[in-house]
Parts: sequence; structure tokens; C-alpha cells
Amino acid sequence: MRKLIVFVLLLSLYGAAIPAAAQRQSASQQRQAAGAQETLIRNATVLTISHGTLQNTDVLLRNGKIAAVGQNLKASAAARVIDATGKFVMPGIIDCHSHSMLDAVNEGSLSITSMVRTRDVLNPTDVDLYRELAGGTTTLNLLHGSANAIGGLNTVVKIKYGRPMEEFIFPGAPPGIKFALGENPKRSNFQSQTQPRRYPATRMGVEEVIREAFTRARDYKAGWDEYRAAQKRGEKNLIPPRRDLQLEPLVEILEGKRFVHSHCYRADEILMLIGIANEFGFKIRTFQHTLEGYKVAREIAEHGAGASIFADFWGYKIEAYDAIPYNAAILTRFGVNVSLNSDSDERARRLNIEAAKMVRYGDMTEEEALKMITMNPAWQLGIQDRVGSIDVGKDADVVIWTGHPLSVYSRVETTFIDGEIFFDRQQDLARRPDILRERAELERAEPNRPPAQGGASPERPRGRRPAYLDADDIWDRGNDQR
Amino acid sequence: MRNSPLRITCALVAIFALVAHVAPVTRAEPQPAIETYAITNARIFPVNGPVIERGTVVIRRGLIVAIGPQVTAPADARVIDGTGLSVYPGLIDANTTLGIPQPSASPSPAAAGGGGRPGATQPPPVLAAAAFSPNVTQPPGLRPEVLAVDLIQTSEAQIEAARSAGITTALVTPREGIFIGQSALINLAGDTIQQMTLRSPVALHVGFTPLRGGYPGSLLGVFSTLRQMLLDAQRLREANQIYARSPRGLRRPEQDRSLVALFPALAREIPVVMHANTEREIGRALDLAQEFNLRLIIAGGADSWKMTDRLKDVPVLLSLNFPRRMTAQVPEADPDPIRVLRERVDAPKTAGRLANARVRFAFQSGALATPSDYIANAAKAVENGLSREEALRALTVNAAEILGVSDRMGTIEPGKIANLTITRGDLFDRNARIAHVFIDGQPVELRPATTTPTGAGGTATGTWTLSVKLTEGDQSVTLVLQQEGEALRGSIQGALGSGQIANATLSPNGELRFTVPVTIGGQTNEATFTGTITGNEMRGSVQIVGRDPGTFTGTRPGGGGPPSAAPPRTPPATQSNTPPAASAEMTGTWRLK
Repeated sequence: MRKLIVFVLLLSLYGAAIPAAAQRQSASQQRQAAGAQETLIRNATVLTISHGTLQNTDVLLRNGKIAAVGQNLKASAAARVIDATGKFVMPGIIDCHSHSMLDAVNEGSLSITSMVRTRDVLNPTDVDLYRELAGGTTTLNLLHGSANAIGGLNTVVKIKYGRPMEEFIFPGAPPGIKFALGENPKRSNFQSQTQPRRYPATRMGVEEVIREAFTRARDYKAGWDEYRAAQKRGEKNLIPPRRDLQLEPLVEILEGKRFVHSHCYRADEILMLIGIANEFGFKIRTFQHTLEGYKVAREIAEHGAGASIFADFWGYKIEAYDAIPYNAAILTRFGVNVSLNSDSDERARRLNIEAAKMVRYGDMTEEEALKMITMNPAWQLGIQDRVGSIDVGKDADVVIWTGHPLSVYSRVETTFIDGEIFFDRQQDLARRPDILRERAELERAEPNRPPAQGGASPERPRGRRPAYLDADDIWDRGNDQR
Repeated sequence: MRNSPLRITCALVAIFALVAHVAPVTRAEPQPAIETYAITNARIFPVNGPVIERGTVVIRRGLIVAIGPQVTAPADARVIDGTGLSVYPGLIDANTTLGIPQPSASPSPAAAGGGGRPGATQPPPVLAAAAFSPNVTQPPGLRPEVLAVDLIQTSEAQIEAARSAGITTALVTPREGIFIGQSALINLAGDTIQQMTLRSPVALHVGFTPLRGGYPGSLLGVFSTLRQMLLDAQRLREANQIYARSPRGLRRPEQDRSLVALFPALAREIPVVMHANTEREIGRALDLAQEFNLRLIIAGGADSWKMTDRLKDVPVLLSLNFPRRMTAQVPEADPDPIRVLRERVDAPKTAGRLANARVRFAFQSGALATPSDYIANAAKAVENGLSREEALRALTVNAAEILGVSDRMGTIEPGKIANLTITRGDLFDRNARIAHVFIDGQPVELRPATTTPTGAGGTATGTWTLSVKLTEGDQSVTLVLQQEGEALRGSIQGALGSGQIANATLSPNGELRFTVPVTIGGQTNEATFTGTITGNEMRGSVQIVGRDPGTFTGTRPGGGGPPSAAPPRTPPATQSNTPPAASAEMTGTWRLK
């Protein structure tokens, strides 16, 4: 009897709780419906990257996340439904080496510029961002250029073109820094007319510069540790040491809190940096370009670094002569995490084709090739929990392609970031007459008319850099005079 | 002489003469002839109250003493009949470089055939001060201790041009740098800078242009340098406080006058003006000010209307230098991007939008080449959504409030400084003319500027035919130059390819310097041209990246060049004599001061 009473009491409590819970749930559901879009992509070939290719599968995006992947999914009445029959869905491409949306790429006046931050010079209005979205790229690792042995701090962004700058920053991406070895930091191939001749001029100088910087960083850390210890001991009347913005990121590297992305080409300099890393007790996260990486694949794999490389770009300078297109395949076979990057606003629009080349060279499978532009760069940037594959719970950064992404005939239809559309081919085409109309109207306005007499000759476009300098991120965009 | 009366008379005459010679002549201080003025029967805009349709303003000894419809002119006043005139508080230009001399291009001693006349160049005060200032730790451009008030040359022609265009007061800052220096608010008339100065320092100014040749050489480095110096200043302030309390056992902190100059900004005692136009530049300024808790003022503000939500407590010194298309119509040229087209159309609307969003703003000329465009462009803003009252406030009291002098100027109230701008017709009417300008209670002689600036060699404008001598031989190049006030634009065409010039400077002595991309043998590199213009000839040297240096000579068609592309709105004011075009000619009317 008592058990029955307890049971009834519990049941009534539960019964009382249900309506309240239901109320709470519907309120939050209301919030959800009001807040984020819900999109159902129906009947596509889904390249999940993590668990194979799924035919005739739906992908449900809700609240900026991938909510469900499966067949015959149901969505709420307010959802946007896209019929993707015959189309392919793939995660957004992640470009591990980009200089888009930066008003300045290089602080080339000193050899160690770890105090500068790409975060300070972001330009969210860069039109190349839109073009990259049209190529299926959704995340960029914005790096300092390769003018210096130790360059500046990076920024990982989602290409939310049209939004304020703050919304671009990838939430929770671990911080990183750029290093550069070889011809660029020692200025083999050009003379800067604004900067005086600078040390180092040889590879041994590059090594010394890096070693010296880390030695100073170690001393800087010791100085602050001593100050803090003195404070703890209760000593008053202490003047704190000077904060040195150049050395603080290096201390973070020593403490394992900042990823090192190092531009390098030759096998000897790769080994050199591994040696320094072991000496000072830190790990290199990625070697960038690494065109001779295949020669030291075992050492790179032992160190645990990733490699972010070009598919087949080679020969544009001496240190690129020994590059082979089988680099990715060889590194992968040795267990190195390999990604393909663009280092170029132009190549970032077609990274799918770069991946396709890896099927041709070295007999990579389609899945391995696609991994190099999705899951692998996600790991290299430390964001693999959020992007890089189509898995429930990950960010809704997905792209709808007209065909298989590894085909030259495929185009991007729609690009989603956090469940919102940032590129749609049909919308783009529909907007073009309006844009032309707006342009015609603006050109008729008085301030836009050419002067009645005389007038300067029109400017040659400044931002165009010759193709042979494409991979060399030492290019100074018009002396950064903006 | 036996005759007593005659002897006495002689003695008296002698004494008198002696006294007259020796006795100190009580010389009265040279007073201006007239100290009191009354402008009667005029339409008066006090700005702090309603318009007075017909009234009188009385000013005496540099101050306003009375204003009102019933006020009568005192007996000793010089009366100016204000029928048909409108009286406004003196107009303020809230951000200029008036009176700061241009740094001249240093003559290159090795320039073959180039270089100026021997001994002709004086080191310009700006660079001289920078180079020889004692015990300076920071390079030029990173010296917040530089005071504009120490650099202003009161005889600069631009000051005269500005006041003749109705501007009575200007905020003056040094010309370049990252920590540009500290500005001064000056009246644009007076014999010495001490007489003209209203307030100094007013604000610390920050620009985001990298230094040339050294760190920071890019925008990246600019922000790191700003951040590091502000951190160092914070630390020095803290260290000084700790050391002052108890120095024993502590190493003395090393003093750095540049860092010490940042203390008032860090303590929010002095505002920090950051020069920013695009949305992202304004965003960066806001972020930096927030990081160090600075009292921010934005100068420029072209895109400020797009981010009014972040500018609630941030005043804007809005530039009236509206962008215009300067390039000729060339069918095969790339069209301007839509963004640029939109910016040009949006510029006059910005003020109205800021007013609607309740953002505090004042106008600045933004380095307008033609001073009379200042009022003309304010009138354009009125045509594009800004009310007349708001426009007048932006030219007067708003600037005074933002710059901290509203207790002594900016409106027509008794006791305030007697700066008045008096126009025939309403200030914002198309055919308004400046009738009188009073600065510190004295009328100013109005000499409206001509379109050609004064300078030893006249203007550089024209189409020059250059012969550039390189190791490859003589190259024929056409150089089109266009000088507007201080801005020098142009382009090259011919054997060295075509390109737009940049970094162009022209000193008053005719020393020219610019950079331009040149193409030789399929390779494009940057070339630096340094030379001198004498009349219709120029000669100098050229340095191309990665090549041996060369020399060049050039000529332009005689007669001082065509009056090319005059700024589109020439003021209806009367033109005075154009100064002599070529330095060789002495003919003309010379005004001897």
C-alpha cells in the first residue's frame, strides 16, 4: 500500500513536472526557431570524409550545427528545403595558408616580428573572400608572410563575407605563429628598396636568429617567473619587468600554447628546425610548403608535425627545384598529416582541383585526397572538433556541388557557414542585373563624372602580382600604403 | 650778454631744449587704431540661441561685449552697416596642418646634373627639430612629445588663404607620423604664434601610416609599435610612482620623454585623435582606444555613419574633403569599383546621417586644396540631409566643445572671443560671399586664394617630356603632373611603361620626388625619381630597384603649363593677380610685406 502511495505521489510529481518541462521546451524551441535557420538538404551524395560516402542522403542543419545525417529526415515546417538530387555535399574546404583579407602581409623591417598580429590588419571587405566562397572554401588560416625568420601571429577565420570583422574570427581556434626558413627570410631573390640590407643573409644566419630569439625568450620567461615568485614571497616595492610583445609569443611556444607554422622548402632546413624544436622542447605544428618534405618524411612523422603543401607547383625558385607531385602521397604513406594549401587568393578558389591532382599522382584514394582539404587541415589548425567532416554536432560548414568535387566540371551551388548561406550561385546570377543598374546610376552621379578638362590617367591596378611571385608570400601589397 | 630778460629767455630755451631731448618720451604702446566695432542691422546667428533677424554685435578689445536687437553702437565704435549681412561665430576647422611647413626633399648630393642651386636649401624646421632635438629615444614619427605650437610658421600662405575663406580658427597638427604629436588650436591672425594660440596642447594625434625605411614598415608593425609604446608608458608611470614612494633597493627607472608625453593620454586628461576613414580603420581605432582606455576622437570619419552604434561617446572630426573622380575618361581603362562610386556619392550624406544618429561631430577641411570649398562642401552636406542649424553647429560650437574651448568661443555671447565670420547672404547659399572676418576683435584683410599656389617655381602641373638615361640607353617618357595645393598626382607613359606616381613631394624650392612602377625588358620594378624643377625644365636622378641608377632631364611646353583640371568649384570670389609663373620672370605685381 505504501509503495502504491509513493508511486502515485511520484507519478503526480512527474505529471506536474511534464507540463512545466514542456513549456520550457516550447519556449526554447521558439527561441531556436526565431533565432537560427533550419535547412534540409535532400537526397544528395554526401561525402562525410569521416565515415565514407552516403548515397541519397539528407543533411539537416539547425542552429548553426549539423543536426542530422541520414535518409528521409524530417524538418520543421519553417525549414528551408533544398533538393540536392544529383548533387554532392561536402564539408567546407579549409585553407591552411592564406593571405586574403589582410591589409598588410609582411612586416619585413626586422627578422623577428613575433609582436605583430594579423588580427590588427584584417579587411573583411576583400572581394577575394567572396570568390573563395564560390570555390567551396569556408575557413582560412591567415598567416604573416615569409619575409622573416620569425613572423607574426596568425588568425583563423570563417569566411562570413558581409559580416563585421568580429564575426569572422573562428571561435576557440588555438593561436599560431609563422616562421620562415630558406631563401625568403635571407632575401635571396629580391632587394627591398625601402628596407636596408638585413641580417640574416644565409641559412646559418636564419638558424642563429631563431635560436637567439628563443634564448632571449627563455631569459624573459625566467625574469617574469622570478618577479612572480618575489611577489608570492610577499616582497613589496617591486617594479615589474618590461612586457615585451616580441618575446611573449615565443614564451607561449615554449609552453606549448602556440602552434608553429613554418614555411620551409629544403630538407636540411626542415631537419634544422626540428633540431631547434627538440633543443628548446617544443613541437612544430606544421611545415608549410615543405616541397622537399618527401626526403625527410620519416623525421617529420617522428616529430609529429603536419605538412601543408602545394599539389604540383614547383621550380619557381632554386629551393623549389626538387619538388615532386608525389610529395603528398609519400608523406601520407609515412604517416604525416598532409594538407593542401593555396597561399594564393586565386588558388584558394579551386582547392578541389588541387586535391584531384593527388589522385593522379601517387594513387591517393578520392577520400584521402578530399581529406587533405578538409579533415587534415582541420587537425593542423586544432579545429577538428568543429569542422572538417559531416558529422552530427559539428559546425554547419557545408557546400553543395553540382558534381563530384574532384571533377573539373563541378561547380559550387551553395556555401553554408554555421548554417547560413554565404554564397549561392542562383542568387548571385539573379543579382547581377541589379548591380549593373546600380552601377549605371552611380556613374551618372555628379561626383563620379570625369573632370571636364584634363584629368589624371587612370591607375593601373595595384594589387596584381606577377604569377611567378604567386607562392612567395613576401609580396608587399603596394608598400602597404592604405 | 648784459640784457637780463634775454639771458633768461636763452636759458629757458636751452633748458627747454635739453629737457625735450633728454626727458623720456612717453611712447604709448602701439595700439590698433580702432578697438571697438559694431556691426549693425545684421542678421545674427548666435548659435546658442535663436537667430536675431536684425540686431547689432559690439566687440571691443578682442571680446564680444554686446549682442541683441536693441543694442546700440557705442560712440567710439567703428560702425559697419550689416544690412544684408549675416553674422556667424568664427568658423573653426577642426583638423589641419596649416602653418606647418612641408618637409622638403633632401637634395641628393650625388645627383648627376641634378641638385638645386648651391646653398639654396634651408633645412625645414620640422626635420631640423626632429633631427637635432636633444636626448630623443624614438625615431621621427614616434615622438608624441612634438608640439604643433613649436612648429607653426605664422607667415605660411595657407593661413592667409584659410582666413580669407572665412575660417577664423584651426586645430593644427604636425604633418606625419604614427604618434604624430600634440595639436594646438590657433586663431588664424596675429603677429606671433603666442598671440594666435588659443590652447596647446589640445589632443594627442595618432596616424596609421608606416614609417619609411625601418620598423615599423607596415601596418602590422604600426599597431604593435603603438601597443608596445603605450604598454611601456604605462609601465614607466607605474615604475616612477613606485620609485618615488621608496627608491631604496630599486634600480631607478630610465626616463624617456616620448613615453612621458603619453602619460596625459593614458590618464584620459587629454583626448587622442586617431585618423581613420574606412570602417575597419575606425574599428581598429576603437579597439586600440578600448585596450588602453583612451579618450578617443576620430578624425576623417568617412565610414563613420556605418558604425554609429559604436560612436556614442566618440566625437568625429568629419572631413569635408569629399572625394571626386580625378581620372579622365579613357574607354579601355578598368571601371572604378562600385565601392568607390558609392563612397563618392555617400560622402556629402555622412554629416546628416551622423546628426540623425546623435553622434557628436565637427567639420574639418581634411586637407582640402581650395579653402573656399570648406563652406561650399558644408553647404553640400546641407543639401544632402543635414539641417542648417546642425551644419552651423558643426562649424562652430561643436568644434569648440570637442576641443575644450567652448567656455571662451564658438558662439556669439558677451565675454567670448570676438571671432566673427560675416557673409553677404546666408552662409550656405550658393552665391554667398565672405564680407568680413574678425579675429580677436580685429578685421582681417581678405585675400581669397587663387588656384595656383605660391612657390618658387610656380606649379609643377603640366605634361613633361622626359629623357631618362639608363644603362640600356635613353628612354623617352611622358610625365603628366597635376598639382592641387599640396597634393601632387600624375602618371608616366612611354618607353618605361605606364604607371601612376606615388609618394610625390614638391618642396617650395621646386625639389621634386616621387616613386612610380617602371617596366624595362618585361620586368616591373619601382623607380624613385628625385630632381628639381626650374621654370619649364626639370632634371634629376632616377633609382630603379635592382638596377644601376640613371639620370633624367625634362621639359614642358612654355608659359607655365596649361591650367589643367582646376578643382571643379571655383569660388565666385574675385581673383587677385596670378603670381609670376616662371621664376625667371620678374614681371608682375609684387606685394611687399
